[in-house]
Amino acid sequence: MSLIEVENLWKTYDMGHEQVNALRGVDMKIEKGEYVAIMGPSGSGKSTLMNLIGCLDTPSKGTYRLNNQAVADLNDDELARIRNKEIGFVFQTFNLLPRATALHNVELPLIYNGTSRELRRESAERAMQIVGLGDRMTHRPNELSGGQRQRVAVARALVNNPSILLADEPTGNLDTSTGMEIMGLLADLHRSGNTLIVVTHEYDIAKFADRIIFLRDGQIEKEEYKQAG
Amino acid sequence: MAKLKKKNTNKPDDKLVSIFESIRIAVSAIWANRLRSALTLFGVIIGVTSVITIISAIEALMGSFEDQINKLGPATFVITKFGIITSEEEFFKALKRKDLSLEDKRALEKGCPDCEEIAARAFRRSKVKRGNKGLRRVLTAGATHNLIEIVDFEVGEGRSFTAEEYDRNSRVVFIGPTIVEEVFEGQDPIGKTMKVQGRKFTVIGVAKERGSFLGNNQDNFIMIPLSTYSKIFGRPRRNLDILVKSSTVEGIDETQDQARSILRARRGVKYNDEDDFAILTADNILSFFNNITRAARIALIGISSISIVVGGIVIMNIMMVSVTERTREIGIRKSIGARRKNIMVQFLFEALILSLGGGIIGTALGIAIAAILGSQISLPVTPSLFAIVAGLSISTGVGVFFGMYPAMKASRLDPIDALSFE
Ligand SMILES: Nc1ncnc2c1ncn2[C@@H]1O[C@H](COP(=O)(O)OP(=O)(O)OP(=O)(O)O)[C@@H](O)[C@H]1O
Ligand SMILES: [Mg+2]
Repeated sequence: MSLIEVENLWKTYDMGHEQVNALRGVDMKIEKGEYVAIMGPSGSGKSTLMNLIGCLDTPSKGTYRLNNQAVADLNDDELARIRNKEIGFVFQTFNLLPRATALHNVELPLIYNGTSRELRRESAERAMQIVGLGDRMTHRPNELSGGQRQRVAVARALVNNPSILLADEPTGNLDTSTGMEIMGLLADLHRSGNTLIVVTHEYDIAKFADRIIFLRDGQIEKEEYKQAG
Repeated sequence: MAKLKKKNTNKPDDKLVSIFESIRIAVSAIWANRLRSALTLFGVIIGVTSVITIISAIEALMGSFEDQINKLGPATFVITKFGIITSEEEFFKALKRKDLSLEDKRALEKGCPDCEEIAARAFRRSKVKRGNKGLRRVLTAGATHNLIEIVDFEVGEGRSFTAEEYDRNSRVVFIGPTIVEEVFEGQDPIGKTMKVQGRKFTVIGVAKERGSFLGNNQDNFIMIPLSTYSKIFGRPRRNLDILVKSSTVEGIDETQDQARSILRARRGVKYNDEDDFAILTADNILSFFNNITRAARIALIGISSISIVVGGIVIMNIMMVSVTERTREIGIRKSIGARRKNIMVQFLFEALILSLGGGIIGTALGIAIAAILGSQISLPVTPSLFAIVAGLSISTGVGVFFGMYPAMKASRLDPIDALSFE
């Protein structure tokens, strides 16, 4: 049984005068511990797919099973629980709370599962160490560089030790070398056992993955596996 | 299925974000938007202040009226010709009644064993003068010597008049402190003379200061023996009151019944007819007063409550702005696992803290304003438990009621929509 099983997944946006099919019957399986990159032209449905995998959104049609649990059967609170516990999301635009310190941003997921104050502090500090920001705990996002902000976002994504790390163009707002640093960090996390799914435009980034899924017009165009060794 | 190692496997997932954490989040949001928060606070303060001002003023008014009435004492009742008149019809009916007279009083003295003390009293306005100093329209009481035993007023200096002075129609006068100030220019008046409606009287005593009640100076009066009063001003007619002190407080109803049957017999009231006089007690005056003012009180509180609604709408508006402005924040929180109720509680707490804060300030302000207004008419206003409880519970209610809709709206935002909100 795979960690992620997607079958004939459709996402249709009703725009009133027309219907936009962002996804048109996607089938895929992702195993625990895999590192998958998703590529495709703009508007091909990459973000839509990531949002569905991350339980931020629900499909119009088809099934999505996470850990053998049909997501369609879950109510709002259960979806929130999955987002909290099973998923760590890294966004292109960081999505940090601007007024909170880096440490507080990282603590946030733990607040929503009732972790005690001390344990929260401890876990958040450890996550900040992992992303190499042990000395930036009390900085606010606007006092950090773009790369550092994205590191905070990564720390927040991993603080709950989720089953899956999802990153939707995590380097999209960063220069190449900073982007590479973030990718290196994510790759480290993958090596230490996390399942990792990254959306990117750049083949140079995607090629580090075990597998690249190419999307076009809401469908899987092709898949490319990394050569063993 | 993949078995995942978890750091905190023993943590219950359903555990709500602690109240403390919610308050912390709300407080930091309030602090981050200081100006907007101040505005909200202001809206609540205005509403709560006006309601609490009204409530405090009404309470003080009622309390002070009650104190005033209670000066009559719990064992005392007053027999009058008119009683409490609430309609023209009643007035004309009462007008036809026989006047109360000193003979009525004498009949009670003879026939009412439980009437411990029976006094009579009449009022008019008269001119008082000493040298070139004088006052017009001074409240002038003609009283039996024992009135002071029944009605609660105290002698400050000198004395009240005696039974002998009463019997001899003496020209002696007991005066209020205002007369001392205005007519005697603050000098000791005892033993000195003054003129009442042109007749010379000797001052024998001064009453203790009572201050004023609802802008009425209660120290501007004189009291002379009723016998003397009758001789000078003619027999008091309509306005002669007979005051009776029952020998016991518990027995006041029986004493009233005794007095009633004696007066009915003496005044020839037929078996089936109603009394041709009225009996008043502190209790029934108070309940009458409560009744006639109830509608006005409710109306006042009702009108001032409109400002609470206005305050509530301010909260709702500003919370709506806050929700819109913080749509991204809500999206972020939801994307990392905040549930609807977490978001809801966060915004509700924000509304609640603001409205409760406004409520505390508004309650204090309302009591203070009522006290300042009260002092203008010498009405003592004290912070009452009722006003405080009302202020706090009204503001809490307003916060919850008007904060509910924005909080619901925030909690129902779709995470994707919220995250992509510009
Ligand atoms: N909320 C929405 N309402 C309507 N249409 C939408 C919405 N979100 C996405 N779409 C449409 O769905 C399609 C897929 O969008 P999606 O964001 O998944 O593309 P993407 O592959 O992530 O593109 P990019 O590389 O530019 O981020 C697009 O045609 C887009 O216009
Ligand atoms: Mg995208």
